Amino acid sequence: MSNFLNKILYHDGRGWWDLPRTQWQEPNPKMEGPLGDGIAPIKRIWEITTAANLHHGTPAFYVLIGAILSIITIVEVWAFAWLFLGDLLVPLMLVLSLGKFVLVVGFFMHLKFDRKYYAWIFTACMVIGIGIFVALLLLLNYGGQVQQ
Amino acid sequence: MASASATYEIKSEHGEVINTSTGLSNKKLLMWAFLGSDVMFFGSFIATFLVYRNRSLVGPYPADILDIPITSVSTFVLLMSSLAMVLALSYVQEGRKKLGTLWIFAVVVLGAIFLLFQVYEFNHFAKVGLTPRTNLFGTTFFILTGLHGAHVTLGVLWLMFLGFGSIKGTLRADNAIDLELAGLYWHFVDIVWIVIFTVIYLISARDVAPPGSVPWVPGAH
Repeated sequence: MSNFLNKILYHDGRGWWDLPRTQWQEPNPKMEGPLGDGIAPIKRIWEITTAANLHHGTPAFYVLIGAILSIITIVEVWAFAWLFLGDLLVPLMLVLSLGKFVLVVGFFMHLKFDRKYYAWIFTACMVIGIGIFVALLLLLNYGGQVQQ
Repeated sequence: MASASATYEIKSEHGEVINTSTGLSNKKLLMWAFLGSDVMFFGSFIATFLVYRNRSLVGPYPADILDIPITSVSTFVLLMSSLAMVLALSYVQEGRKKLGTLWIFAVVVLGAIFLLFQVYEFNHFAKVGLTPRTNLFGTTFFILTGLHGAHVTLGVLWLMFLGFGSIKGTLRADNAIDLELAGLYWHFVDIVWIVIFTVIYLISARDVAPPGSVPWVPGAH
């Protein structure tokens, strides 16, 4: 049992995940989780689930991310179809959608593992894009009635 | 005299030759800049959809016509295509040609299935009376999802080209950056759909005829 848990929870290069160890000579600093040097087991779980300290994931890791994305989509549809949340529907959908967005951009698009500059470029454009979005909403909502 | 914009070559961990004048791959930098511009492009259309939400005076309205179960399946298909894409890149970078080729064509097939869902949906909507000219919902819906569909089509063609390149041996571990760029584009198309699915299909799907508008009667168009 403990061997089984070790294989799942620890990526030492020999387990199922077979994730490579960090190359410490890499100029980019390691990507630390919010727990810092906190409780070791929790930190280990954080490292596995976020692939912290690693350059890229393995197929098994990407399948895990794909499974999480599928589960979030199922939860979205379930909440939409069977839970009548009223005003809570929009914030819930936005949060779940944001979660999927972050998983795809961070892991599938490798922003989590890649150079920070790419993340900055994309984030800067996202900020401008959201600015355009908000400006359009404000402009057209307060710019008179448009109906067809 | 050295030029400030001199380009030189470096090798990545996968043995790829990367042209750079900034320390970053020029190709990848260009792709991220393009994706950034596409964020603004789609952001404008999604904002337009939301601005005109609940402002149509004639039907059909979203609650009359949107089919969430079918779109959920097509969303799932696109998500899985993203998974196939990242697996394809992983195998091509490792030099495992057969697996890489297989997963590239898996992305092509899943992308084509998604497009078939979209063709079916557009066709169905047109039959029951929703076209881009019917009302504001129709205009904003078809433009937004149509532009997304055009992006998916381009991605399918691009990946098909790379898939055949992998079979012929022109796509290898040392130039896997070409597949990585296509992958970035493909994942971007996926995240745009994540937003579209949430905004149009989940948040707006219960929108009925707004006050003062004409309720929609099926078959009355």
